[in-house]
Amino acid sequence: MHMLIELKNVSYIYEQEPPVTALEKINLNIEPGAFIGLIGHTGSGKTTLVQLLNGLIKPTSGQVIVDGKDIGENKKGLKDIRRRIGLVFQYPEHQLFEETVYRELAFGPKNLGLDKDEIDVRIREALNLIGMDFDKYSDRSPFNLSGGQQRKIALAGVLAMKPGVLILDEPFAGLDPRGRKQLTELLKRLHEQQNISFILISHRMDEISYLATRILALKEGHIVLDGSPAEIFSQPEKLKEIALDIPQLTEILFRLQKKGLEVRSDIFDIEQAADEIIDKLRSRNIC
Amino acid sequence: MLKNINIGQHIPGNSIIHRLDPRIKIICTLIAIISLFLVSSFPGFFIYLAVILTIILFSRISVIRILRGLKPIFFLMFLTLFFHAFFTEGGAVLLEWRFISLHQEGIMRGFFMVTRIILLIMFTSILTLTTSPMDLTDGIEYILKPFRRLGVPAGELAMMMTIALRFIPTLLGEADKIIKAQKSRGADFESGNLIRRAKNLVPLLVPLFISAFRRADELALAMEARCYQGGRGRTRLHELKMERKDFVALILVLCGGVFTAVWL
Amino acid sequence: MNQIEMKHVGYQYNKTGEQALIDIDLTIQSGEFVGIVGSNGSGKSTLARLLNVLLEPTEGQVLIGGLDTHKRENVQQIRQKVGMVFQNPDNQLVATKVEDDVAFGLENLGVPSSQIRRRVDRALEQVDMQDYRDFSPHQLSGGQKQRVALAGILAMEPSCIVLDEPTAMLDPRGRKEVMSVVQDLNQQKNITVVYITHVMREASRTDRIIVMSEGKIVRRGQPAPIFADIDFMNKIGLSVPPVTELAVALRKKGLNLPDIMDVDELVKCIC
Repeated sequence: MHMLIELKNVSYIYEQEPPVTALEKINLNIEPGAFIGLIGHTGSGKTTLVQLLNGLIKPTSGQVIVDGKDIGENKKGLKDIRRRIGLVFQYPEHQLFEETVYRELAFGPKNLGLDKDEIDVRIREALNLIGMDFDKYSDRSPFNLSGGQQRKIALAGVLAMKPGVLILDEPFAGLDPRGRKQLTELLKRLHEQQNISFILISHRMDEISYLATRILALKEGHIVLDGSPAEIFSQPEKLKEIALDIPQLTEILFRLQKKGLEVRSDIFDIEQAADEIIDKLRSRNIC
Repeated sequence: MLKNINIGQHIPGNSIIHRLDPRIKIICTLIAIISLFLVSSFPGFFIYLAVILTIILFSRISVIRILRGLKPIFFLMFLTLFFHAFFTEGGAVLLEWRFISLHQEGIMRGFFMVTRIILLIMFTSILTLTTSPMDLTDGIEYILKPFRRLGVPAGELAMMMTIALRFIPTLLGEADKIIKAQKSRGADFESGNLIRRAKNLVPLLVPLFISAFRRADELALAMEARCYQGGRGRTRLHELKMERKDFVALILVLCGGVFTAVWL
Repeated sequence: MNQIEMKHVGYQYNKTGEQALIDIDLTIQSGEFVGIVGSNGSGKSTLARLLNVLLEPTEGQVLIGGLDTHKRENVQQIRQKVGMVFQNPDNQLVATKVEDDVAFGLENLGVPSSQIRRRVDRALEQVDMQDYRDFSPHQLSGGQKQRVALAGILAMEPSCIVLDEPTAMLDPRGRKEVMSVVQDLNQQKNITVVYITHVMREASRTDRIIVMSEGKIVRRGQPAPIFADIDFMNKIGLSVPPVTELAVALRKKGLNLPDIMDVDELVKCIC
């Protein structure tokens, strides 16, 4: 399932009056096994970027190369690309249309031309992955489920295609804290146990700092930051420069630094942060 | 990006035709269409065409734009000509081959009908090109108001049209998203015969309809929360006001209509 | 007079028989900025809809400025007094142009044409959208759409505005826009605000909060001490802002800190 995605000098221009350059000369390698957090303002090019990865749109210039092959050159191979690179849009529950959960989950595998038995196996696996019981849910109408469950079903619909890379566009949108927590744990599990690489678009910095192994920041069609969460969030000034939110914990540590307390700012766990602060305060003999 | 499409054919502008009251424009168009059907000879059509061209001149819209409106009905016009030419009998026989005959009268009739269609489309194009959909809606609402007594819900119809216009770009954007999402699951909206392609539309149409119904639900709630109670008793931000130019236009068209009815 | 009073209010959905609200008692005074928090399914949206008679209580009584919501003849007056902004920015805007949408409520109330223009202009200025009066809704961002929706309510000159998770579908920029406009309106125009959310960062800006869980009010009071009760918050499915969690953790390790919800305050207290 391991694959390498490369973007070579990729640009994308939307044809309108006036034309809009969404991405400009992007060079990027996405290594297998990564969990990439893609951050940036609305309009920075994130959605355009991910749509290039699964072949929904073609670059105006440059190449998108998957496992050494340029996907622009192979029209027939697009279906295969979409199998291997799954894309889940924002509010994915808005794409549900079948009469039963079973048929909904069968849609993707059917489009891939798999046979009935294989489809059945896939559906059972997918429901298992999202933690929903096959016997309880497979005959129900997706429209009779709660919002959170619908979202999980939509995700399962893509998981049933067994992608090697899963791209999620704002998967936490509209979820309450409990729903977010559940989804975060699910994504972590999928990454670690199923060997799926992830690209996660979100402006929820807390979730990104918890899940991502690498963070890419886009601004006006360019990559402006690229590194591990520790690297990225230890430069809060840079993030503020591109006017992006930083995790609240990082904000606190950064402000303390500014006031003279020499705490590290690349901590993402509350307990660790508390220990760090107490430590540094003691060494200043303040408390 | 679908966000910049122009709804309908409306081209914004500041000509005197653009600035006429929409009610007058609608009524004038109706009068024009009626008189068009009263014209019984080709010379009449020429006068009619001259009038149309004058109006187009005043509207500062190119004639080519107007003629573009004829493209969709090209086939219809051809059919009309064809059927009249070969099936309407009368006058000299121009061509004969087995049981198919081409009559002079048939061809004349054919051309006559087609010319009428062309002029009709041209006049209505002027209307839609110079009047924004919102103004058209306002105009129609006003004209229908007196029919409320007969049970025509003028206010509600206008509200429905406004909401439809408001949501067209939004629903188009949503359709775009759904298409992309289903394509990402391997859906194919392009290949296959007609029946296959119709079936393939289900993953687009079902979610789109469900979304439209959900929007309607939420919108209705929001409208109620802002005290909407139907068309009765509503006032308006923009009052339609008749000015001198509107009366002039109306009188001119009425005269033209009468003239056509009596002389042509 | 109390702006809003709910006495032993219950609500049962007659289709499903589900009891969405159980024995709700609350009072909100004029000019307050009250937050109603709870996870999905806690009943907070149902409660909101009782305030402007989109729903009527199946038990008990709701009084708005003394008017009983059970009485049909009060409905229009109540809806003019209590304006509501909903979660989905798109599904509240009804007209093809911003200024026409803001005028919608006034047109429904039969306000004379001459006054509508003035009130629309004023409302647009209050939300800083006056430059967008000729725009179509689909040309606006989420935050801008919500501000237009708010303007549409303000034009009707309500004494209270209820906002049902108004920022749930917005990006961070949009959230900030809406939150700051709402705070201004409460502070400068003294409009009562009832703000329903599950985003603690927003709830922390209110004067006081009402916490709901499974149809009941489970706690009321100042946000800070309630958020600091981390076990309670987790039990009812709400998240605690990291700043509060950190303050509690530091307190456990010996640092003497009050209940804190604000980053500035925490930094000040530590250093």
